[in-house]
Amino acid sequence: MDAARVNAETLERLRARIQALQAAPRAHLAVLRTGVEAVDALLPAGGFPLGEVVELWGSPASGRTRLALRVVAEAHRALRLAAYVDGPGELYPPALAALGVEAGRLFWVRPGASFQGSWAALQLLRSGAFACVVLDLTHTGQRLAPAAAKRLHDAAARAGGLLLLLTPEEAPGEGSLRLLTTAGPHGMHVEVVRSRQGMRARAADVPWEALGPWGPPSRASCLLDPFGQSGPVPAPLPPSLQRPRTSEVRNGLCGIQGQRPGRDLALPALGSPLGLKG
Amino acid sequence: MRVAFLHLPRFPVQRRRPLLGRPAAPEAEPPLALVHAVRGVQRVAFASAHASAQGVRGGMALTAARALVPALVDLPYDPAEEGRALASVAEGLLVLAPAYMPSPPDGLWLDASAAPLFGGEAGLLRRALSHLLGLGLRARGAVASELFTARALARFGGGRVTVVSPGGSAEALALLPLQALEEVESPVHASLGAFGLRTLGEVARLVPAQVGVRLGTRGLRAIALARGGDDARFLPAPLPEQIEEARTLDAPAEALEPLLFVLKGMVDALCARLRGRSRAALRLTLTLLLEPDGPREVPLVLARPSNVPRLLLDLLRSRLEDLRLPAPVATVVLGVKTWCQDPGQQRVLGALPEGDAGLESVLARLATALGPEALSSPRAAEDHRPEAARSSAPFQPPVAEQGVHAEARRASAPRPAPDARSAERPVRLLPRPAPLPVDLGPVGELRSARLFGRPRAVLGLAGPERLSGQWWTRGPFARDYYRVHFEGLGPTWIFRDARDGRFYLHGFFD
Repeated sequence: MDAARVNAETLERLRARIQALQAAPRAHLAVLRTGVEAVDALLPAGGFPLGEVVELWGSPASGRTRLALRVVAEAHRALRLAAYVDGPGELYPPALAALGVEAGRLFWVRPGASFQGSWAALQLLRSGAFACVVLDLTHTGQRLAPAAAKRLHDAAARAGGLLLLLTPEEAPGEGSLRLLTTAGPHGMHVEVVRSRQGMRARAADVPWEALGPWGPPSRASCLLDPFGQSGPVPAPLPPSLQRPRTSEVRNGLCGIQGQRPGRDLALPALGSPLGLKG
Repeated sequence: MRVAFLHLPRFPVQRRRPLLGRPAAPEAEPPLALVHAVRGVQRVAFASAHASAQGVRGGMALTAARALVPALVDLPYDPAEEGRALASVAEGLLVLAPAYMPSPPDGLWLDASAAPLFGGEAGLLRRALSHLLGLGLRARGAVASELFTARALARFGGGRVTVVSPGGSAEALALLPLQALEEVESPVHASLGAFGLRTLGEVARLVPAQVGVRLGTRGLRAIALARGGDDARFLPAPLPEQIEEARTLDAPAEALEPLLFVLKGMVDALCARLRGRSRAALRLTLTLLLEPDGPREVPLVLARPSNVPRLLLDLLRSRLEDLRLPAPVATVVLGVKTWCQDPGQQRVLGALPEGDAGLESVLARLATALGPEALSSPRAAEDHRPEAARSSAPFQPPVAEQGVHAEARRASAPRPAPDARSAERPVRLLPRPAPLPVDLGPVGELRSARLFGRPRAVLGLAGPERLSGQWWTRGPFARDYYRVHFEGLGPTWIFRDARDGRFYLHGFFD
């Protein structure tokens, strides 16, 4: 009799637990933040909205890719999948971990022909399985045709995924939200140049350090003093593998500005301690 | 041993019914007859219920049948092809039973020893009938201890699901008509009828010695069968090595839709066979026999093993949509070239039945269109040479967490620890290092470089990081890497090669 009562109580507790779980509000992913406050503040929704095509348009090394990968990392933190359609084949996996990207949740597509990139992105968006799809058109010489851009817009809106377009300066795409990125001496400059929600011409400056976990300033930073007058004593190095170096000053012992080569020290951040001009 | 018999009335006609299209009402279904040549005369082998109601019978000449039913649709009947089709259906039932034994042309026995897994023998039969209904086939089933008892009850018993307990065969068979003894040769069957016997119960009550004198051993066997004493053994059918489905179209297809219609049935059957063997396909080949150009093969590569019909059909559709064929398709063959074991997946509370079907579908589509080598997951390799440190692995994401508990788990997911070394690597690495024309100062310091069409002054520089190695190979390397901030650009990754003393651009901290 007691056993039956205990079973009934256990069942009742389980039933109540299941009902509570089913009634709990479901987490709804509406935006993906970059985690860079200055950039998120520029955006109408406080992040990159899902269901839209966002374009990061700018010069090489202006920080577009790191910004996109931070968004990918945000999707991974929500246990969602992301895809990177690598048109030029330049994505470098060893750099991903520092940006918080979980390699196992990143689908890396390297299409053989440039025109296959937008087709692959379209398929990925339509599947609805990826929260974020990055389509990298840099160095591909390809400009997105209006019809293809329209299809991508429709697919993103229907499936509720975010498409991030990485476009070069000379070939802007058709993103509904376009951010222009330019490189400055101390960081990247981000400006909203197209937006359907009236946030145009807003801009922000983001220091390079905010985009990635650069190594902290260390003793190595002083190595950038010309010719290491205040630096450590250069250690003897093994002779060159092929032939002697041409520079007498470097003499195979030191870097191009006299500093000691070393792989044990973390590279310092690019900043004023490193001898930036201006 | 307990055996189940599934009777699929007019199986050759049933399996062809979808090819005739879906009529608005059952009575609008066209009368159908399957014909084969007997001594040079086309005769009816099977007739549909509609045709039978109008007088068409098996063995009737086609001309006579046409005279009775002018609207009769006739299709060729090939016993070998029907046997393959029956085996294909039986293989799909191996999810419910460890073995099967065909009983052509319209039935099969199953080993019913797995019945406790499906709620008993009646549950096993209901699952089997439901599976067959999913393939568009109506059937009746019976479970008994003897092959004859199960078969006779399924064919003549009248009930959709019949279960005979051990030892109760004679009683269950007693009311069946004499036609149930069709296994016994027709002279004996006719003689028993001539004696005025109508049911198996009456046959069972005969005195064996008297029957033996009049009808010989066949008469004795008839009595044994009627008393539930069948001693025939269950012989499992061997499974064919090749998993393949073939269909010959009634008329060569020139458009996509009729082809997809046929493929739908083939994919359903193929996936049922795969599931029956607990397998999943990795690579398939669709062979289209064109008239008159000959065969054309279309390879299908799946990114992840699958035996889901919807996924394969989507994949086939997308492949065929892109295909331009010079001639109509007469025959279609779909075969599994590579397979693996399918362990299955346990669903959790609240999980959607379709799972991550969208992901499966898109992976398969991309793998077929771009090739599996274009799809991967990025990995960092343990190699000091930067270009060799770029690696990849098959994309195998964690199984999508579904259900009510997944929400709670998402909130507490641990964040990956930052990697200090990867911060020193650029996010973009050029496929090949590009020679960098540089301007050096009088003592060798880097002042500027020509990049993207114009000279750019160096604003900041960090490094070097010396990477060298592989001196024991024919391709040794020794490089000093620098992170350089050029005017108008962000940070770049350049190196000076110790072999020639020149600078190269290798990547961007984009």
